[in-house]
Amino acid sequence: MSSTSSGGGTTPSPAVELHGITKRFPGVVANHDIDITVAPGTVHAIVGENGAGKSTLMKTLYGMHRPDEGHVYVKGREVRFHSPSDAIKHGIGMVHQHFMLADNLTVLENVVLGAERRFGIGKRARARVRELSEQYGLGIDPDRLMEELGVGDRQRVEILKVLYRGAETIILDEPTAVLVPQEVDELFDNLRGLKREGLTVIFISHKLDEVLSVADEITVIRRGTTVDTVDPAATTARDLATMMVGGELPVPELRESTVTDHVVLSLEAVTVRAPGGRAVVDGVSADIHRGEIVGIAGVEGNGQSELIEAVMGMRPLASGRVRLEGRDVTGWSTLRLREAGVGYIPEDRHRHGVLLESPLWENRILGHQTKPPSVRGPWIDRSGARADAARIVSEYDVRTPGIDVIADALSGGNQQKFIIGREMSGAPRFLVAAHPTRGVDVGAQAAIWEQLRDARAAGLAVLLVSADLDELIGMSDRIHVILRGRLVAQADPTTVTPEQLGSAMTGAGLDGPKEGDTGADDENGGRA
Amino acid sequence: MSDAPVDRVLSGPARPVLAVVLGAGLTFGLDLVLLWWAALMIGVVAAFAFVFATDRFASADGDAFERDRGVLHGVLVVPTALVLSVAGGLLAAWLLDLSLIEPVAALMGGALGSLLALLLLRRLSGMLALSFAAVFAAGAIAIAVTALVLLASGIDPLHTFARMLEYGTRPDSMVQIINDSTTYYLAAVAVAIGFQMKLFNIGVDGQYRLAALMAATVGGYLVLPPVISQIVLVLTAVVVGGFWAGIAGYLKVTRGVSEVISTIMLNAIATGITAYLLSTDRIAVEISTNNIGTPPMPESAWVPGIPASFLGSDERIFGFVFLAVAVGVAYWVMLNRTRFGFELRATGQSKTAAEASGVNVRKMVFLAMVFSGVVAGLVGLPQLLGHSHHYALDFPTGIGFTGIAIALLGRNHPVGVAFAALFWSFLTQASGILPFDSIPQEIAVIAQATIVLTVVVVYEVVHRWGRRYQQQQIGRQLGTVAGPGAESAQAPPEGGTDERGRDATVPAADGEHGGEAR
Repeated sequence: MSSTSSGGGTTPSPAVELHGITKRFPGVVANHDIDITVAPGTVHAIVGENGAGKSTLMKTLYGMHRPDEGHVYVKGREVRFHSPSDAIKHGIGMVHQHFMLADNLTVLENVVLGAERRFGIGKRARARVRELSEQYGLGIDPDRLMEELGVGDRQRVEILKVLYRGAETIILDEPTAVLVPQEVDELFDNLRGLKREGLTVIFISHKLDEVLSVADEITVIRRGTTVDTVDPAATTARDLATMMVGGELPVPELRESTVTDHVVLSLEAVTVRAPGGRAVVDGVSADIHRGEIVGIAGVEGNGQSELIEAVMGMRPLASGRVRLEGRDVTGWSTLRLREAGVGYIPEDRHRHGVLLESPLWENRILGHQTKPPSVRGPWIDRSGARADAARIVSEYDVRTPGIDVIADALSGGNQQKFIIGREMSGAPRFLVAAHPTRGVDVGAQAAIWEQLRDARAAGLAVLLVSADLDELIGMSDRIHVILRGRLVAQADPTTVTPEQLGSAMTGAGLDGPKEGDTGADDENGGRA
Repeated sequence: MSDAPVDRVLSGPARPVLAVVLGAGLTFGLDLVLLWWAALMIGVVAAFAFVFATDRFASADGDAFERDRGVLHGVLVVPTALVLSVAGGLLAAWLLDLSLIEPVAALMGGALGSLLALLLLRRLSGMLALSFAAVFAAGAIAIAVTALVLLASGIDPLHTFARMLEYGTRPDSMVQIINDSTTYYLAAVAVAIGFQMKLFNIGVDGQYRLAALMAATVGGYLVLPPVISQIVLVLTAVVVGGFWAGIAGYLKVTRGVSEVISTIMLNAIATGITAYLLSTDRIAVEISTNNIGTPPMPESAWVPGIPASFLGSDERIFGFVFLAVAVGVAYWVMLNRTRFGFELRATGQSKTAAEASGVNVRKMVFLAMVFSGVVAGLVGLPQLLGHSHHYALDFPTGIGFTGIAIALLGRNHPVGVAFAALFWSFLTQASGILPFDSIPQEIAVIAQATIVLTVVVVYEVVHRWGRRYQQQQIGRQLGTVAGPGAESAQAPPEGGTDERGRDATVPAADGEHGGEAR
């Protein structure tokens, strides 16, 4: 099946072995003393929380960056990768969480792109794609246009791309994040197919039930280091969870309700269309009150980002109204909305939240460039901005040597705390918080939740979008479930479970697939 | 260094005075027995040593000084500050020497150098020092490459450089250098405004030529009283330049046309328009037997030159050198002190972040293009109003492209660009002597090209390295303090205390790791 070690003979040498890997980033140690041994021909899962260092580790293995310390062995021989192409040469391929495919090309063209030397770009390449597709049961037609394919198919194309380049070990980074349950099952069938053919799969996830169902071995990572490697047959999801969080996690939790009758933001049948005319947000209506956190749950790509951009004035509404404190703010510019007291914690802070190469105090101005204390008329108020940046740093516990440090030098959690401090300043009435604790370490996560709770108690209305269901349930006063751009269900966070939310997110309704779901708008908030 | 205890007794303000007196006094004294520059160097170095030695007593309050302490400080900031203050003192003394007697010039140079030493040691940040070091390194590489080229062609590089230095510092050459740099500076600032937004305005060339032609036409046909005349001409040039660049901006914003393509085409169109208009059938008149141009402007429209007798020359410096300085200052103020400048830089750094912050990105792109064109419109004016007084076939062309190189060389910084412009025109001017020694003049072009390339590459490499270094430094700094800090920060939220403690030790432990690795 797979290569055996030249010396031993009896046991095959591990497909991949990581030993003592340490990788530091500014402000955080992403990985330290990682030891993992992946046996050939197995599915090896690596689990850990968001921010535990799984992706960093895989980037090390895939040659995207070099470890500060430690050794990587492939089939028993030590290797040093300087780039992903080195990794590919050694038979290691990676399927990223976000697909890297060109929509306007065919499957074949996408697969061949960048690997033209292997089998050319013509008949031989097509034959090879067909052959691989059959061999591993991927069911891919090389001549279809990429834009016609669904998410599951796209993922299989990504896997095929890796196989085409001769990979024997395939890393899958959170492959199920974008899939609905049926597609997950298909993916797992594919993975078993790969295993049968002697390939090794490294599967990264933080979803324990999935890991338990597909993996042959599970390595748990916590706070950047390996905790243990276990056999899925001999462990339970509960044990894994305990290992992942090392005891109890800070629990997102609201205390007493502070919801009032006063509606701050009201969405009335908001519809947003994609350039093609398809409705990505479809008739969304919701009210958010003073002192209320309204959560939006949904599988990524179901219109959450578009809804937020529409609320923030970054995307035009096709129809519907947005009211802020009773005033019609439909079509207002982002700047006007911000001036009217809307704060925004963007989902991708590097793209939308900070100027990475600017010092912190300049980042204090960003998004508030028309208001004191950072600006006086058309002039920048340097001392005002600096003083206020210093205030944010101390009040929000941003770990930084000073406010002259560029934002890029801070860790993600500290950047996020700074952003939250900035958006909370100037007493906003309404806050859009998109994935506020994504990619943030546990300590910062607790601090961020605390800030949100305090702001809510002070009367802030919050629209919270998150992929972390525990966070949604713990932090929201009310949860809407979004599916294909529509709010399909409403849930009471005091009673709903993540499983129920999960099933509603995939269109099965809050009560699971057994009950016939009577129309998408069926509201059963807080089941009796 | 024995002064240190004395200084501790003295209050803060006495220190700079002491340093300056030490530097200037030593310079003056030694000037009697040594060459002036040797005396000055010794004086400034002594002042520097004094400041450096006494710093640890006085720096308790200087936060900019504390911040960058580390390896970087020792190996980079201190030597850079030293080199800069000595160079600053020498330069000042040399310039003053042209109009004052030598001992006085040396004294003042020494004083200035000492003052610089004081200022730089306290205020020079690690990143800035890194930039200076990068430029020094690039300069050294460029000189080495040029020397190699000379050697390969069998010419003595030292002799060549000496000739260039000698000729370039002659009074008349210096006037020429200042005049050229005035024009270059305006062009480079025009390009730099675009660069701040990641817009590449290749069209500065067409913009200034068209603007100069229009201004010359207005000036030639319209007789206005002084002052008003100059204002009208400047306005004409600015409007034409801004309009011409604005076309590219408009196309980019509404149709997504790359400004690189559109400005190149607009350059060609500007050339066509100029050729069409500059004919005796239309706006041009015969100026000399072989040349035609716009009618000469009346004297009321001229901008008088500044007599350069203080440099020892009979030539005149363009009066518009003040315009260039004003543009530089305005550019700096706009960029660093106004909301508009902040939005400009924010958009340049990250379009997405600017958009999410409520910046109208399309408007900023358009305005940046227009402003770039406005400054470009001024490029031809020093020459037009200060020297030729008409736009003829021999009006200088290609300055826009030189501007791109100078903006790159000066890293888009108003001061950096000024030095780059001076340096550039120095090379051009100084190479004028080489044909007399039958050395190919093209050596200057090689030097210019090499230095642009090396500065861009070296600066980028050093900058990246410096950033990583800074990040690591911060990581380490925070890593070592995170232990106790993390615990206290995590205490408020409810939850397993046992876990907290363990978590907090992780970064702390690694901080030690980092320390060891070093």
